[in-house]
Amino acid sequence: MKNFELVEPATIDEAVALLDPDDAGVRAIAGGTALMLMMKARLFEPVRLVSLRRVNGALRGVRENAGGGLTVGAMTTLTELERSPKIAAALPVMSRALHTLSNVRIRNVATLGGHLAHGDPHMDLPPILLTLGARVRAVSRRGERWIDIADLFVGYYQVAVARDELITEIDVPAQPAGVHTWYAKFAALSADDWPSVGVAVWYRTDGERIAEARVAVSAATEMPLRLAGAERALVGNAPTPQTFAAAADVAAEAIEPVADIRGTAAYKREMVRVHTRRALAQALHTGRAAR
Amino acid sequence: MRSIGQSVPRLEGHAKVTGSVEYIHHLRLPGMLYGKIHRSALAHARIVSIDASAALALDGVHAVITIQDVLSLVPNPYYGPAFHDQPILAHGKVRHVGEPVAVALAVDPHIAEQAADLIHVEYEPLDAVFDEIEAARPDAPIIHDVLKPAGMFTDLKHLGGRSGTNVALDARVRRGDIAKGFAEADRIFEHTFRTGKVIHATFEPMVSLAEKQGDGITIHTASQSPSFVRAEVSRLLGWAENRVRVRTAFLGGGFGAKLYIKLEALVAVCALLTGKPVRIGLSMDEQFYTITKHGATVRIKTGVTDDGRMIAREVETYWNGGAYADIGPRVTQKSGFTAAGPYDIEHVALDNYAVYTNHPPAGALRGFGISQLVWAYERQADIIAREMGIDPLAFRRKNVLREGRPHATGTVVTDMEIDAVLDLLEKRMDWRRPFDRGTGVIRRGRGLAIGLKACISPTTSVATVLLYGDGSCALHCGTVDMGQASDTAMAQIVSEVLGIQTQSIRVVRPDTDVTPYDMATLGSRSTFHMGNAVRAAAEDVLAQVFHIAATSLDTEVSSLECVDAEVVSSRGARMTLREIMLARFAMQAGTIVGTGSFAPHYKKPDPATGQSPDVTPFWMLGGAGAEIEVDTETGRIEVTKLVNVADVGRALNPASVDRQLTGAAIMQVGFTLFEEMVFSDGQVVNASLADYKIPGFLDVPRDISAGYVEVPHRNGPYGAKGVGETGVFSPSPAIANALYDALGVIVHDLPLTPERVLRAIRQAENRPLGDE
Ligand SMILES: Cc1cc2nc3c(=O)[nH]c(=O)nc-3n(C[C@H](O)[C@H](O)[C@H](O)COP(=O)(O)OP(=O)(O)OC[C@H]3O[C@@H](n4cnc5c(N)ncnc54)[C@H](O)[C@@H]3O)c2cc1C
Repeated sequence: MKNFELVEPATIDEAVALLDPDDAGVRAIAGGTALMLMMKARLFEPVRLVSLRRVNGALRGVRENAGGGLTVGAMTTLTELERSPKIAAALPVMSRALHTLSNVRIRNVATLGGHLAHGDPHMDLPPILLTLGARVRAVSRRGERWIDIADLFVGYYQVAVARDELITEIDVPAQPAGVHTWYAKFAALSADDWPSVGVAVWYRTDGERIAEARVAVSAATEMPLRLAGAERALVGNAPTPQTFAAAADVAAEAIEPVADIRGTAAYKREMVRVHTRRALAQALHTGRAAR
Repeated sequence: MRSIGQSVPRLEGHAKVTGSVEYIHHLRLPGMLYGKIHRSALAHARIVSIDASAALALDGVHAVITIQDVLSLVPNPYYGPAFHDQPILAHGKVRHVGEPVAVALAVDPHIAEQAADLIHVEYEPLDAVFDEIEAARPDAPIIHDVLKPAGMFTDLKHLGGRSGTNVALDARVRRGDIAKGFAEADRIFEHTFRTGKVIHATFEPMVSLAEKQGDGITIHTASQSPSFVRAEVSRLLGWAENRVRVRTAFLGGGFGAKLYIKLEALVAVCALLTGKPVRIGLSMDEQFYTITKHGATVRIKTGVTDDGRMIAREVETYWNGGAYADIGPRVTQKSGFTAAGPYDIEHVALDNYAVYTNHPPAGALRGFGISQLVWAYERQADIIAREMGIDPLAFRRKNVLREGRPHATGTVVTDMEIDAVLDLLEKRMDWRRPFDRGTGVIRRGRGLAIGLKACISPTTSVATVLLYGDGSCALHCGTVDMGQASDTAMAQIVSEVLGIQTQSIRVVRPDTDVTPYDMATLGSRSTFHMGNAVRAAAEDVLAQVFHIAATSLDTEVSSLECVDAEVVSSRGARMTLREIMLARFAMQAGTIVGTGSFAPHYKKPDPATGQSPDVTPFWMLGGAGAEIEVDTETGRIEVTKLVNVADVGRALNPASVDRQLTGAAIMQVGFTLFEEMVFSDGQVVNASLADYKIPGFLDVPRDISAGYVEVPHRNGPYGAKGVGETGVFSPSPAIANALYDALGVIVHDLPLTPERVLRAIRQAENRPLGDE
């Protein structure tokens, strides 16, 4: 490992001033769980790491926002999210997913900002946040902007956050009463492994029919994405096993699976089918309490 | 004092959990250099040139060492326990990806790493071969020009000078008349089973330091075999053994990875060439290129009579040894001869081939090749049983080897009770109870398996017990405690003999300047071999103590007993050990030294037939029973219950026995369900713990337990046998047999990843999952 500079600015302004739009060797470091792996594998050789450790106060915690939703600071650790009563009450799908997201040691230091900025397609929270309709606030010397989560992931390990931008917070809107949500994580190797396939589902019923639906996959494709075809297959139909199976088939056929050591393309396609169907069925049992 | 059979707490337990024990990993020597290895990027290539100029130009770089430098010190730089085939650094060519080609030495580990990256090697690629079956073919690319067996093993000598082959060793066993056996059989079953490559994944990666001291050298190393390291390094240097000191500390895991020479010869040479202490410590990913478990292909053919007796068995096993032999030829032969299993079969033919390939070297990994064989014969046992309509347990009872019967090698089986192990398995698995296999997406199944190992032979252990001036006691023994609680067991033996509290006995860490010879800590041999040596050494001390006491107390030695650090005569006269030292040395000082050694009797097998009347000091038998749930839509298996049962001779420390069996079983669960090194052109695709997953707490079966049978071994210390490996023998086939029980599907290859299982399920349903 070559020598590099480690800076620990105290404010967001100082932090963004230390980023460099032209140098790929300058990056923010939050929990470091993803970045250090890349450094150890020498996939990333830093010139300067801008640690967000001391900016913590401003970027940490879960609070209710004006729209009745939740705003999460980018430096909030995954453990804090997992244990947050606010998240548990408003977004139980997220609390549940966090229990099996890697392990306690990682969750204690990994942050939500790092989780999203990393752009790794094999992660658990991106598909969930896709279905929840989250957005991300990005700040740079040039100002600030909101990036819709659907626009955040742009390719394999690629996100729409620019080199000189920092994610400062993540906004999750208030969810409609009685919405059905579920995240199916399928790990092919050890129990606390990255997902081989992850499927998040979200739907709202109006009377006997599904009125609105969102389905997102992770780990099977180049990047986490929503599956519009599967969503269309749900809307207007009754939430029955037949509907779910038909939507799952559409989901499986719609994707272009990417093989890795956790499954071949054919297997991943099949797992998307199985887990979309299962997630849709499981979700039916959720959401009632909120009504 | 009764120590034997008590669950005495670990001697080092408190120090370990409070972080105060020594590991070589943490050792820093004043003025030392850090070495970083530049490794081959190709699987098989001739080295055209090595350019270290850019590395040497870096600030803080002290030297870059290549084979040319090594040769100035070590004219014949090849080492290995079975074959002298592995060069200290690549010599003329590389034979696997990750092979050490050069070492950058620098004042700082990060500079060394940067320098290692800057070394430029030009290669001329050669054809490579990775599969053990392909590599054994006559037209395969040849990996070693000539075979170079080490002098140490006389039975390998005949291989010397052989050329034009990748088969480093062929070992055979012949018993009865195999052709006649198959002719007489009513049914013949034939299958091929495979296991992939996996690694030890020790949490303390390999690490060694060397420093020149006077005309000698001291090597501090995380090693399971300090005596071997001393012998091999002095052989390479052409020095007397007494100039080489090898010391070790507690190991952060070993499992067979830290045996023989790993980094020791390299650090020794670097220290001698530079005149400075040198440390080389591997990163986790480098371990994947250092030593692995053997992948194996096992073709097994069995002839059975209509009443369910196996009468003929032919097993042909190809062991993927990787680029260097390491201890592979020993795995091939010493485990290979058990390939017919713990069964009484009249006609047997076993062929084992140790095959060089362009993968990283394979060596010993907890079980020494046994689990690969048990995978084959116990998987086949259930297929046979089902096809013949016999309960799997009843099928085994019909066929197992019993006391007094000859094993396939001709050695008569003694001191092993397979029936008792089967009885305990039956009870723990509640085998007679009707079992609900389910009807939905989740199906349930149960299975069992038994496996046999012959403890490796011949090997020697020597121990010294010392009584100090104040009556306190120390044990010098070369057994390396790497987590298996050997220190505690050895101290218990001393305690039992001398009547001193186990906790108060000092066990001195292996150091070849101090502790006497021990072959190595491997193959579950220490309790039996070192245990006997320690007992003899303690008895030697006791004899001296009694002699002094008898004189002082004016009584007969036969009237004396040692209880609670006191010698007591039958007439009630007493003398503490302290008083005995005073009586012997006329002041409160001096040392009484007791020594003991142990080497079991052994008869070398006939090379043509593998027959020997005395092939092993003791047989190890392990059984496992598993209950599983399998998700028929994903192929994922969950082990809901796992029982491990072993014949341990005598449990010196029941808690340690329990943990050894259970720990081994959990390790094997990882090898069974998901651990596998994935290769691409010889490169390990998943060479990190991020992508090579090992079991975590959530992977431990909900209901896991160990049980043991005590059949005291006539030659074991207090009847004990080794138990460190027994728990790995049987879980894999037990789990796969449970899958077979649940769904009737056969998976021939380990690991049973969800995808592999789903593909087998879909194949059986005639709607195979395609490829994309
Ligand atoms: C052993 C292991 C197992 C894992 N298992 C799982 C799993 O099962 N499921 C799963 O979903 N994930 C898993 N992960 C991934 C884990 O979730 C991520 O590593 C973690 O969330 C990254 O967060 P971090 O704070 O450590 O990011 P860092 O490593 O600090 O940063 C990651 C990237 O984000 C950038 N970055 C960080 N913060 C910001 C910011 N505020 N603004 C802009 N850019 C930023 C960094 O520059 C870097 O490029 C696992 C990781 C490990 C090491």
